[in-house]
Amino acid sequence: MAVIKTQNVTKVYNPDTIPVHALNGINIEITQGEFTAIVGPSGSGKTTLLNIIGGLDNPTDGYIEVGGQDISKLSDNELIEFRKNNIGFVFQAYNLIPVMTAKENVEFVMLLQNRPQAERDQRVKELMEAVGIGDKMDKRPSQLSGGQQQRVAVARALAPKPHFILADEPTANLDSKSTANLLDIMADLNQKENITFVFSTHDQRVIDRARRVITIDDGLVISDETR
Amino acid sequence: MLFKIAWRNIWRSRTRSFVVIGSIIVGVWAVISLLSFSSGISSSYVNSTIQNELSHIQIHHPEFLNEREIGLDIEDSQAILTKVKKTPNVKAASQRTVSIGMVSSSKGARGVMIMGVDPEEEDQVTNLKSNIKEGNYFGSKKRNPILISKRMAEKLQVKMRQKVVLNFQDKNNDITAGAFRIAGIYSTGNNTFDEFRVYVRRSDMNRLMGEENLAHEIAIFLNEPRELEMTAGALKTISPNLAVQTYKEISPEINLFESQLQISAAIFMTIVMLALIFGIINTMLMAVLERYRELGMLMSIGMNKSRIFFMIVYETIMLGIIALPFGLAAGYVTVRWLNKKGIDLSAYGEGMQEFGFSQIVYPDLQSEYYLQLALAVVITAVLASLYPAWKAIKLKPVEAIRKI
Ligand SMILES: Nc1ncnc2c1ncn2[C@@H]1O[C@H](COP(=O)(O)OP(=O)(O)O)[C@@H](O)[C@H]1O
Ligand SMILES: [Mg+2]
Repeated sequence: MAVIKTQNVTKVYNPDTIPVHALNGINIEITQGEFTAIVGPSGSGKTTLLNIIGGLDNPTDGYIEVGGQDISKLSDNELIEFRKNNIGFVFQAYNLIPVMTAKENVEFVMLLQNRPQAERDQRVKELMEAVGIGDKMDKRPSQLSGGQQQRVAVARALAPKPHFILADEPTANLDSKSTANLLDIMADLNQKENITFVFSTHDQRVIDRARRVITIDDGLVISDETR
Repeated sequence: MLFKIAWRNIWRSRTRSFVVIGSIIVGVWAVISLLSFSSGISSSYVNSTIQNELSHIQIHHPEFLNEREIGLDIEDSQAILTKVKKTPNVKAASQRTVSIGMVSSSKGARGVMIMGVDPEEEDQVTNLKSNIKEGNYFGSKKRNPILISKRMAEKLQVKMRQKVVLNFQDKNNDITAGAFRIAGIYSTGNNTFDEFRVYVRRSDMNRLMGEENLAHEIAIFLNEPRELEMTAGALKTISPNLAVQTYKEISPEINLFESQLQISAAIFMTIVMLALIFGIINTMLMAVLERYRELGMLMSIGMNKSRIFFMIVYETIMLGIIALPFGLAAGYVTVRWLNKKGIDLSAYGEGMQEFGFSQIVYPDLQSEYYLQLALAVVITAVLASLYPAWKAIKLKPVEAIRKI
């Protein structure tokens, strides 16, 4: 079943002044359980595509379906609600709330969803152990390394059981060891729990780990291979 | 949860938060100090008018205050006095015979209000006795003692135990005269008042008037001044054909004075609050802009606009609530201290005295004002938070995140 489906998605920034055609008609379909990399040089439109799939931005034209729901025309507030319940995000940096501990960060979205305390506690513990930082529960983000912070971000993204996780260059700020480590954890969660990951990158070591690689350039898909 | 984040956010930038907290403390303290000062001036004026002159409530013939004629006296005044004294909340009451007349010495003459008082009862409704600076308060048994003010003594160039002559109308509208010996010299601190008033025994005055039980005025002092209106109401039922008036009615300038002070207090409070509002808006805007990316992230992962909005509002209110007890306490301590010490205004005393102010002001502030101020600070914080909070929810998560 397709969890993400885009049809002729285009995005033009500044249509009234100096138009930038960031996406020029993207048609992709991503099914449950994929481990997919969106690849392309800087400026090719990766971030724009992920933002639109993630309901952070509206397309100029085209149609996006997430979990069977058309999200291309939702209002700001509807999109916030949709993101909260359906999509997990991992950004390149500034993922975490600095004034909250690792545990509180992971718990955060579940709190927004008003999940009961017992459920939250159990899930947070489970996830923090799964990403290998069960011993760092009460540390603030500033007390964690970059790699550990990204693992907390993955756990946080997973907590509300979203349809899939979107990660825009999640390893861009990490050294090669932390990069490998984070990818191990992501691949592991993907295999064992069938969690769908879509991440963008231009790092060859990361591309090598993906099972499907969608390459875009100038806002168009130029290749799509599954291995 | 929102409270928790808001609380922790406050302490992210301690210096900035302390600047806001500090300025609220200073603002609250300044408002309290100034209010207590003007309230001190106001009550010193009101109190001196009550204690020197009016007492709390007066009863007259309905026409007396307009016409001031001898014939407009209180009928059966002794009987009314007895009933008045039995009225709840009445601490003391005293009858007076009042006449406009002239006092003269060998050196000069002046128009005056002659007050015939019953020494013992009068002492319970005004503080004439404690205002005596020289001599004593109707102490001797000798006939026709008179109390005049220091200022009057200077004008008439008379000294203690010298004689002055009083001229006034008697009951039959004939001019009568009597020689009085100066038994005491008083000073209330209010020159206008002093210049115009002399005191004699009511019995001496009534004898000259030709009617023993004459009284034009009953002055009443209360136990609980806050129940002024209620007591006045009760007194009206006792004496339906007479005019029962509170000091506020008799002396409308007191009312004017009080409301004037209230207006200037309100203006001052508004100025301080406005200054605080702009300071807080500025600081909170900085806090919002600084956390632009973080707020974008929070919105991305599903924190909705109303939660973001209230988070910023709570942060601002918390700053106000942290500052409040310190500001109120600082203000309270200052007021208590100034109240104990008194502020000496004798440098400006000459002018002040003319208008009935005492030279030393004892600042004081009723507890209602502290409550009002606390409320005003919370409202200020809420108002100041609206714009920054609105700015926060206006941000577009994509743009905020792009900056990462
Ligand atoms: N907010 C924006 N306003 C104008 N142009 C933008 C904006 N965001 C991205 N772009 C442009 O759109 C194109 C795609 O950018 P982006 O999606 O960030 O690519 P990538 O993530 O692959 O580097 C680039 O040419 C970029 O300059
Ligand atoms: Mg990008």
